[in-house]
Amino acid sequence: MRIGGINLNTIKQWLTNIKNTFSVNSKKEFVDLFIRSLFLITTIISASFIIIIIIFILREGIKPFVTNNDGLGRVNLVRFLMGTTWLEGRAFFSNLYGVGFIVVNTIYIALLSLVIAMPIGVLSALFIAKIAPKRLSKILRTVVELLAAIPSIVYGLFGSGVILVFVYNLGKVFGIQSKGGNSVLATVLVLALMILPTITALSEVAIRSVGKEIEHGSLALGATKTQTNFKVVLTSAKSGIFTAAILGIGRALGEATAVSLVAGNARSGPSFGLFDTTATLTSTMLQGLKETIGLDYDIRFSVGIVLMVVIVLTNAILNFVKRRIGNVNVK
Amino acid sequence: MKKIILGFTMILILTLAACSNGVNEWDSSSNITVYTRDTSSGTRAGFMGGIGFDEAAEDDSQLVDGFVINDNTGILTSMATDEYGIGYISLSSLDDTVKGLQFDGVDPTIANVVNNTYGLKRPFNYVLRSLDDYENETEKNISLAFIAFMETTDGADIITNEGAIPLESSNTWDDIKANYSVCSQGNSNVTIRFGGSDSIEQIAKALTEAFAPKCGNFIPEHDHTGSSDGFKRTQGSEKDGDNYKHIGFASRPFKDSEDGSQGTQGQLAWDAIVAIVHNDNPVMSVTLEDLRKIYGGQFLTWDELL
Repeated sequence: MRIGGINLNTIKQWLTNIKNTFSVNSKKEFVDLFIRSLFLITTIISASFIIIIIIFILREGIKPFVTNNDGLGRVNLVRFLMGTTWLEGRAFFSNLYGVGFIVVNTIYIALLSLVIAMPIGVLSALFIAKIAPKRLSKILRTVVELLAAIPSIVYGLFGSGVILVFVYNLGKVFGIQSKGGNSVLATVLVLALMILPTITALSEVAIRSVGKEIEHGSLALGATKTQTNFKVVLTSAKSGIFTAAILGIGRALGEATAVSLVAGNARSGPSFGLFDTTATLTSTMLQGLKETIGLDYDIRFSVGIVLMVVIVLTNAILNFVKRRIGNVNVK
Repeated sequence: MKKIILGFTMILILTLAACSNGVNEWDSSSNITVYTRDTSSGTRAGFMGGIGFDEAAEDDSQLVDGFVINDNTGILTSMATDEYGIGYISLSSLDDTVKGLQFDGVDPTIANVVNNTYGLKRPFNYVLRSLDDYENETEKNISLAFIAFMETTDGADIITNEGAIPLESSNTWDDIKANYSVCSQGNSNVTIRFGGSDSIEQIAKALTEAFAPKCGNFIPEHDHTGSSDGFKRTQGSEKDGDNYKHIGFASRPFKDSEDGSQGTQGQLAWDAIVAIVHNDNPVMSVTLEDLRKIYGGQFLTWDELL
């Protein structure tokens, strides 16, 4: 029987299904149902936090574009997304913000640090999983986990104390006057250092879970251990290694404290040179955060929205590529 | 295997040779690398005001290209490595790892700030409500007692601790507390509201933390939103609104439009700023003009300054 295009029978079936889910025949079933409902509630609570955070950031971040900002006028969205200068004019008196160049900087730096960290991470993982003797690999695994647990501010302090000096001296060797070491190179080095443990740990797990049969098969066919490691094991683990890369780049995109200490916080133009100062989305949000008010404060939420969009897009693209490169059935 | 080891050793030797290139001569034809604080920093406003470059206090486009933004400690550590950099920090953070430049020939020391010969400084000022504009006598007396406390040696110690330079003081709080009978009664139902400059926030909080127990445990409420709100919320347009304050602070001299009633405004400290360079840098002293030209981009290499 159809009323208004909706099949009444379907609705009846749907209601009966719900009734059956919640019907209890005994006390045992009631307890069972109660616990399951409890799990549902906790899941809803934890999932709702991400919704709450997104709503909050969206609400604050939209403000500069729709309200009058205490007389400063709306911020132009196109100029904001395409701009090559963070702020033209006096701070607190101007609404000419631009974030475009920072997006380019952020992606450039994240990619560079991935390029440095991936080979080192994957090869270390290969060593730990396949080549090192058992005891050494256990020690190395603990070391890698420890490195992954070091807080980012410690990396930042290490960066500003050691890496800045190193980059400054390196610049001197090449005859380039770098600005006290604050440069793209320093940022990339610090970030590479931070994402290295994540990549190593995840790749190691992926490599270890490659089926022994595949490896034995390759060895039986006459390949050397190294050939097997590179052409068979790594290729089989490529899905897991790609996941490691995704997580690594996620961490690189989101790192704020360590970057703001070594980047130099440039205020204009995408910086591609290795010894130029630079800025990322996170370091821009952090710089001067505690002392600022009004539009200058609200605009940081807008930068936060841009950052979230960048992260979601990067994840989506990388996941798409991951699905395309295929998945060898691992144990 | 042997070839790999040989290759590595060669690279190592080359790197070591490059590193131990010896102490390079300080090259005066190099570019000046300019370090500054963020636009929201009070120290930056004080520095730019002090060198006559007010336009650059909140506007990055006025500065020379290629400047580096860092916080106080960041500039200090960078200057310890960067031989061709120049930056500015609060005088209280100055140490041996960098060289503090003389300003117009005067050494950057606390003594010189207090005797008014060192010029690169800004005043920390306070403003009270008009003496007849308090809700009750208790609030007025506690506010006046707080100002008196600020001007004692106890207050001076706290101010020094927070990195500013207090004015001359001679009494301790114990000497003068007899004049402020409001402090011997219980004041835990009285809230005194402090606001104004956020550069002074730390000092104000330290002062109230020390003073509240000495004055009947009144409740200090802090809401620091900028120097302009100091006068505005005590004697200006917002003095009776929701944001009214009893005592406001400003990290700059009061403007002509901020002329309060007799006896309600004064200075509590100086905040001195010092320009710093690397220890190997031969420059010893700078003038206002020099700094303005360096930060504005008219002097691009160290040659032009020397």
